[in-house]
Amino acid sequence: MRNARWLIAVVLAGAIVVALNSPAVAKCEPEKAGATYPNLVGKKIKIAMDPSTPPYTIRDPNDFEKIIGFDADLARAVFKCVGLQFEFVSGAWSGLLPSVIAGQNDAMWSNLYYTAERAKQVDYVVYMQAGTGALVQKGNPKKLKSMDDTCGVRAAAGLGTVEEAAFRDQSKKCVAAGKPEIPQVSYPDMAGGVRLVQNDRADVMLTDLALVDQLARDNPTAFERGFSMMTGFKVGVAIKKGREDLLKALGEGMKEMQSDGTQRALLKKYGLDPTLQITSETLRN
Amino acid sequence: MTQPRRWLLIVVIGGLLLPLLLVGCGNPSGGSGVPGRSLEDLSAGKRVTGDEGRSAPSATSAVLQGLREMVLYIGSPFLLRGTLLALQIASLAMAGGLVLGLVLALMRLSSVLPVRGVAWFYIWFVRGTPQLLQLVFLYDALPIVGIKLDTFATAVIGFALNEAAFSAEIIRGGIVSVNRTQAVAATALGMGPFLTLRRIILPQAMRAILPGMANDTIAMIKLTSLASVIFVNELTFRSQQIVSQNFKFFTVFAAAGAIYLLLTTVISAVQAVLERHFNLELDRSAPRQSGLARFLGIRWQGQPSAVPDPESRAADREPANLVAVVREPADLALSGAVMMRSSVASPNNGESGVPFVVCDDVCKAYGSREVLRGICMSVRRGEVVTIMGPSGSGKSTLLRLINHLDRLDRGEITVAGRLVGYDRVGTSLRPVRNLARARADARIGMVFQHFNLFEHLTALQNVIEAPIRVYGESHAAAVERGMTLLTSVGLAHHAHHLPHRLSGGQQQRVAIARALAISPRLMLFDEPTSALDPELVADVLGVIRRLADGGMTMIVVTHEVRFARDVADRVVFMDGGVIVEEGSPADVLGTPKQPRTQQFLRLVEREVGTF
Repeated sequence: MRNARWLIAVVLAGAIVVALNSPAVAKCEPEKAGATYPNLVGKKIKIAMDPSTPPYTIRDPNDFEKIIGFDADLARAVFKCVGLQFEFVSGAWSGLLPSVIAGQNDAMWSNLYYTAERAKQVDYVVYMQAGTGALVQKGNPKKLKSMDDTCGVRAAAGLGTVEEAAFRDQSKKCVAAGKPEIPQVSYPDMAGGVRLVQNDRADVMLTDLALVDQLARDNPTAFERGFSMMTGFKVGVAIKKGREDLLKALGEGMKEMQSDGTQRALLKKYGLDPTLQITSETLRN
Repeated sequence: MTQPRRWLLIVVIGGLLLPLLLVGCGNPSGGSGVPGRSLEDLSAGKRVTGDEGRSAPSATSAVLQGLREMVLYIGSPFLLRGTLLALQIASLAMAGGLVLGLVLALMRLSSVLPVRGVAWFYIWFVRGTPQLLQLVFLYDALPIVGIKLDTFATAVIGFALNEAAFSAEIIRGGIVSVNRTQAVAATALGMGPFLTLRRIILPQAMRAILPGMANDTIAMIKLTSLASVIFVNELTFRSQQIVSQNFKFFTVFAAAGAIYLLLTTVISAVQAVLERHFNLELDRSAPRQSGLARFLGIRWQGQPSAVPDPESRAADREPANLVAVVREPADLALSGAVMMRSSVASPNNGESGVPFVVCDDVCKAYGSREVLRGICMSVRRGEVVTIMGPSGSGKSTLLRLINHLDRLDRGEITVAGRLVGYDRVGTSLRPVRNLARARADARIGMVFQHFNLFEHLTALQNVIEAPIRVYGESHAAAVERGMTLLTSVGLAHHAHHLPHRLSGGQQQRVAIARALAISPRLMLFDEPTSALDPELVADVLGVIRRLADGGMTMIVVTHEVRFARDVADRVVFMDGGVIVEEGSPADVLGTPKQPRTQQFLRLVEREVGTF
C-alpha cells in the first residue's frame, strides 16, 4: 500500500514536471503533418550521420544495412512523431557538418556538440549534455586522473572534434605552467583511436563518456576509464540555417520524446546515463 | 615455359586460396553455414580483447577462426556493395579522366601559347592540391553558386578531373616518346593531325602510356575511400563502419584488403594483355598465347598453331636472287601500275613540255638562319632531277617546301600549275585551313633518308595506310595493290613483317612502295641511300631507276654521282641556299664550271673511291 502511494506521488510529480516543461500541448500528431509542415511533407529529409559513432549511430550487427544507436533511434522516433519522411545519409564524420552548411543534406544527427562557433553556421535542437571520458590502458599506467595530468602524455582525439580542441587548449596551459606540451594525434575514425590506445601508441583517448564506459565494460582487461568530465557541452541536431519548418518540426518532436519518456528509455537502452538528458531547446546564433 | 613464372603463379593462387582451404578443413560445420547467419554470429558481441587470444583453446584454431571470419566478410553483401561502388566510380572517372587527359596532353603540346598555358595551369593546380579538398570543394562549395551535385556524380567528376591532370602528363610522355619523324612521314602521306595521332602516334605511345595508366587505375580504386567525406560508402569506409561497431579490425580490414588485391590483380592482368598487344618486339609468328596465359605463365597445349599466312607461302617460292624477282614480271607491274595511275591523276597529260614543278624565288629561314635564298627551278613532267650539294645547302628544305611539310617564307611553288596548300591573297600566299587535304590532293610521294616507316605496322600495313585512310580505297583493293607494289620492290614475302625485322635497304624499298601507293604524280627522294650500308644501296637505286624508266617525275636529293649521271635528266647543284649550277649530268658532273661544284665533286668522288 505504501508502495502504491509512493508510486502515485512520483507519477504526480512527474506529471507536474512535464506540464511545467511543456506548456504547449505537445502531442504526436503525425496525421496533421500536411497542415503543420506543408513544405516538408512528401519529401525525404536527408539526415547526415557517421555510422561509426557508437553508441549513437552505428551499423546494426545483425544487418549492416541498418543504422541503429541512440541518435538513430531518437531520430526515427521524432520523425515518426511529426509524421515526416527521412533517410540517413552516411559519411565520414568530418564531412557531415560541411554538407549541411552547403545544403547537400538537411540536418546532421551524429552526437554533435553545440558550440557558438558552429552555431554561426547551423541551427540546433539540443536534447542532452555530453560527458567526456578519458580512455586509458588497463591499470591507468600514466595515472591520469584529470586533464591537468595529461601534460606530456601522448593524447588522441577525433579529427575536428571538441576533444581535439580541448587537448590543444590544455597543451597551452601545460606550456604556460612550465610543463611539457601534449604530443597529440588526431584519428579520422573512432575505432582507429581505440587501436591507438590498445597498441600503446597513445596514453589517453578523449571521447564521449558513454563510449569510454562501454569500451571499458566490454574489454575489462584492455581498457579502463582514466577520468571523466561533465564538460557541459550540449548535444543536438544541427539544421541548415533558414530551414525554419524543419527546425520547428524537430523541436516539437523532440519535446514530445522528452515528455513521453522515449528519450530516457533510449538512453537506458544504449547504456547512457539518463541524467544526461536536458530539456530540449532550439538554439540559434 | 619458364619455371620461375610457374612458381610465381602457384604462390599467388595459393595465397589467394589458402584462407578458403583452411576454412574448409578447419571448421566442417562453418563451411556449409549460411554466410548471413555466420556473419551475424561473429559480429554480434565479441570485442577485441587481450584475453580473448589467451582463453582460446589453441593458437591454431584462433587463426582458423580468424581466416574463416575473413572469408565471410569477403563474401558479405555489405562489403561487396562497397566494392561495386568503388569500381563504378573508378571506371567512370577513369574513362572521363582519360578523355580529358588526352585533350590536356594535346593542349600541352600545342604550338599556341595560351592553349599550352591553360593546360599547364590546370595540371599545375589539380596536381598541386589535395584531392580530398577538391572533393569537399565540389560537394560543399559548388552549391553556393547553385550547382548541386549528388554524392556519386561528385565522386565521379572529382576523380575524373583529378585523373585528367595525371593522365595528361602520362599521355604526353607517351606521345613525345614517339619519334617525330613518324608524324612527318604521316603528314607527307596526306594524313591529317588527328588521323596521325589516332593511327600512328597513339598506338606507338601506348607502350609508354600503359604502365602509368595501370598505376593510376589501381591507385584510384583504392583512393575512392577518400570520398567517404562526401558520403560515398565504398569498401574502406564500410569496413571502418563494421570495425567501429565490432572492433574486429584485423579480420575486417584483411577482408577488405583481399578484395582490393583481387581487383588490382585483374587490372594487372588487363595491363599485361594490353602491353603484349602493343609490344612490337614480340615475335608474332610464334604460336599465339592469350594475354592471360602469358600473364599467368601458362601455355596451353593443343592450341591451334598459327594460321598459315601468305608470307610463308611466298617465302617458299622465293628464289635466292632478289634482284631477279624485281627484274622479272614485277618490273612490268611496277612501271605499269605507276604509269597508269600517273596518267589517271593528271588530266592534262598531253602538255609534257610545260613545267610540272615551278619554284619561283623560294626563300626560307629558320630563325635568323637563311636556308634558301631565292631558288628558281622548274621540273618538266617525266623529268628526273637530282639535287646535289654539301649538307646545309638547303636541298632537303627545298623538298619539304615542295610538298608543304614546311611553310614558305617568300616566293611560291606550283605543282601541276597549282599551289600546294596555299591560297593566293593579293600578291602573297596564305596557308589553307585543311592542309592535310591539300597535301593529299597534290599526290606528292616522299621518301626519307631514315625511311620513317610506321614502326607498329607491318610492311603491307605501312603501304595501305594512306590509300585506305586518306584516299578512301577499299581494304581489299588497297591490299591487292599494296601486294603488287611490295612484289615489285621484291618484298612480297616480307609483307607481314614489322619494319624492325627488315634491313635498311628493305625498309627503304617498303618506304618507296608506301609513297607509290598514293599514286603520286611527283616523287621526292631525300637522300634515300645515305643511311644504308653500301651493299644495300644498289637495290634501292635499282627501284628508283625503274621508276624513272617508267616515266615518273622525280626530284632526288642524293650524293650518288654515278646514279645521277645514269638516271638524271638534269642535275642541280646547290650551295648556301642558292642554285650554283644546273644542267645535264654530263655538263654539271663532267665539266663543272663553278669552282664550288668542282671542289664538292672532287670530295665526293674521293669518298666513293675509298669503297
